[in-house]
Amino acid sequence: MNSSDTSSSPFATGDPTKINADVSSKGSFWRAIETAIELGGERLNPILVKEGRQALKSKQFVITFTLLLLAGWVWSMLGVALLWPGVYYAPGGRFMLCGYFVILAIPVLVTVPFSAFRSLAAEREDGTFELLSITALSSRQIVTGKLGSAVLQMLVYYSALAPCIAFTYLLRGIDIVTIVFLLFWTLVASVLLSTVGLVVATITRARHWQVLLSVLLLVGLCIVTFTWTLSFVSLITDTQATAFDDVDFWLAMSAIMTFCISHAIMFVMIAAAQISFASDNRSTRLRAMLLVQQTLWVGWMTFFWIRFEAEEFLYVLVSVAAIYWAFAGACLMGEAAILSPRVKRSLPQSFLGRMCFTWFNPGSGTGYTFAIVNLLTLVIIIVVAGLTAELEGFAGARGNYDWLLYVTLVAAYVVAYLGVGRLIVVLLRQLGRVTILLTVLINLLLVVIGAAFPVFFQG
Amino acid sequence: MPGQPVIDMRRLHRFFGATRAVSDISFEVMKGEVFGYIGPNGAGKTTSMRILATLDIPTYGDALVDGFSVINDPDRVRRRLGFMPDYFGTYADVNCREYLDFFARAYGLRGRERHQALSHVMGFTKLDGLAEKPIRGLSKGMKQRLCLGRSMIHDPSVLILDEPAAGLDPRARIELRQMIRELADNGKTILVSSHILTELAEMCDRVGIIEKGELLAVGTVAEIQRGQVTHCQIRSRVIANVPAFASWLEERDDVENIHVDGQLVRFSQIGDMPEQAGLLREMILANFAVAEFGIEQRSLEDAFMHVTRGVVQ
Repeated sequence: MNSSDTSSSPFATGDPTKINADVSSKGSFWRAIETAIELGGERLNPILVKEGRQALKSKQFVITFTLLLLAGWVWSMLGVALLWPGVYYAPGGRFMLCGYFVILAIPVLVTVPFSAFRSLAAEREDGTFELLSITALSSRQIVTGKLGSAVLQMLVYYSALAPCIAFTYLLRGIDIVTIVFLLFWTLVASVLLSTVGLVVATITRARHWQVLLSVLLLVGLCIVTFTWTLSFVSLITDTQATAFDDVDFWLAMSAIMTFCISHAIMFVMIAAAQISFASDNRSTRLRAMLLVQQTLWVGWMTFFWIRFEAEEFLYVLVSVAAIYWAFAGACLMGEAAILSPRVKRSLPQSFLGRMCFTWFNPGSGTGYTFAIVNLLTLVIIIVVAGLTAELEGFAGARGNYDWLLYVTLVAAYVVAYLGVGRLIVVLLRQLGRVTILLTVLINLLLVVIGAAFPVFFQG
Repeated sequence: MPGQPVIDMRRLHRFFGATRAVSDISFEVMKGEVFGYIGPNGAGKTTSMRILATLDIPTYGDALVDGFSVINDPDRVRRRLGFMPDYFGTYADVNCREYLDFFARAYGLRGRERHQALSHVMGFTKLDGLAEKPIRGLSKGMKQRLCLGRSMIHDPSVLILDEPAAGLDPRARIELRQMIRELADNGKTILVSSHILTELAEMCDRVGIIEKGELLAVGTVAEIQRGQVTHCQIRSRVIANVPAFASWLEERDDVENIHVDGQLVRFSQIGDMPEQAGLLREMILANFAVAEFGIEQRSLEDAFMHVTRGVVQ
């Protein structure tokens, strides 16, 4: 190889030996870095590489990035002008950060999650998803690749506004912990919203439903962004709002963080399950994740109940769990138990295994049982813990048992509604295919009818 | 035929509600064979190809690729199979090299192996000169080449090509046909569907005719042409006494559809070669001055038209 063509990309020549040859011949530091990047790139998710290449050339990214830079520049000028002449002596960091935060929130909380949705939805619309699904990539890799691409875009937007945000710190009035706190939680929210976008993209293939879902998602993202921005702007402007030195504050943040992580993982798993091969086992891992989330929820709420000695935590615990299992149960009941013989062989075969783990197998009936068993387990835990607290007189015991009635009633409602929903699904399955979306809609309709019935009955 | 079949369709069924898209299809394709899949629109070609490509699952039956079931071992099947659907499936904002590079990565090719696969495929499909060209700027023929390249980037032993020549100009068709033949000569097993029957006849070792989800005939092109002949079209020229000859033919039970055009008489006879030989002998014994007697060769298109009934689901 002559030295004249060492400047060209090794990839462009199609000669892989060129990478090592270049390094040994020149021994250049930068060449070694390039080689390391090249080798690192080999290990990256192919979807991430492809999406990265596409994004850099796409009009959407170029326009959003340009607008972000332009808005940052305009706000820098305008903000300084508004602060003038106090900018020389009065702290103006909080004021400027509010503006930069609004500018950053729109692409990070709206554009990126919506792009993640469109990216996966477009693969299904254009038929490229089918080509992907027959490659060596697993459905999980496809989804995580899309998510990775979304994170990459977030980081690019963050880096674009980084100098501006550093500028707010220099203007004084805002500490670095608050800035990092805001940016970190916005990043977490963006990741979570992107996983939601990916799940929404897999719900249906029908074009008219896709259009409806995309509108709903966009509206939802705008509402979340508006609420998020408003909350954080008030947090920035209120100098007394943050309590970084309070242990309880960090405990609450840790609880929220665990739920964000577990939900992000679960959304990725749901999206991957939705796009996986029809005869694959789409359910067992998801059910295990539901169990993990139940454990997290019970753990944190019980901890807070004991720590703050407030019975209200029991009500929150059971109310949220009831809604959670009602929704999860509705989704699980919509599953079809189509499994390949190979997958069937991997299911528990022993008596003990079947007794304990059959409820993790895909299917409408096992789904209903799984949801109900989990909710009832939670109820038993609450009843045992609550009675123990009342008898032993700790954790804010008040000597009344109203909570017991509430817990029992809530659980009974969920069991009854899901039971009726399950019967309807069984009947409809005799007529044709019942999807998860339809099962959720049936259960939602039942709840609406159940809620409206007393109103009409009394009227 | 010796050896284990590379593609083995076993009583494949696929129902969509009341519609029987594929109904009891069974056939085998051996290593290095080009198998043509012929049928009218809505016959079930694409459905059965999609099942073979592990994009759909059969209602009953199974399909095996290299001995692996599409239901039980879809991952192993995918490693052995390249699928080119009847749509392009390309991405915006990527060029030819990036497109192929992405699929090479997606099939798990790394480093040197990927670079070699890329240069091989780009060379084979003659896309070298267009490596940096955006896909959206490619002609239909070039896109088809690119898609063929994508389907063979991981060097699969089986290629499934759904209507690869649709919409191509004659030159592009010929080039595509040459590429398919070259792939088969290199040991690839190819299942190809097409509406252009003359092309299939030229490139396929065997063909299968499918209609309304059912496989009506399987065999070499010659076998199909010959095997389906129950009414043989005959062309005969008698240099005198043509009306008498026509009357003589009309009296026979095994002859029908007689058309007289001057000295030329066309008719169809029920039967195969021995019956034709017997008829010729009788014509001569009856003192007709037969100057010409021949079977009008049926094309694959004729056989297709004869076998199928034009029924679409």
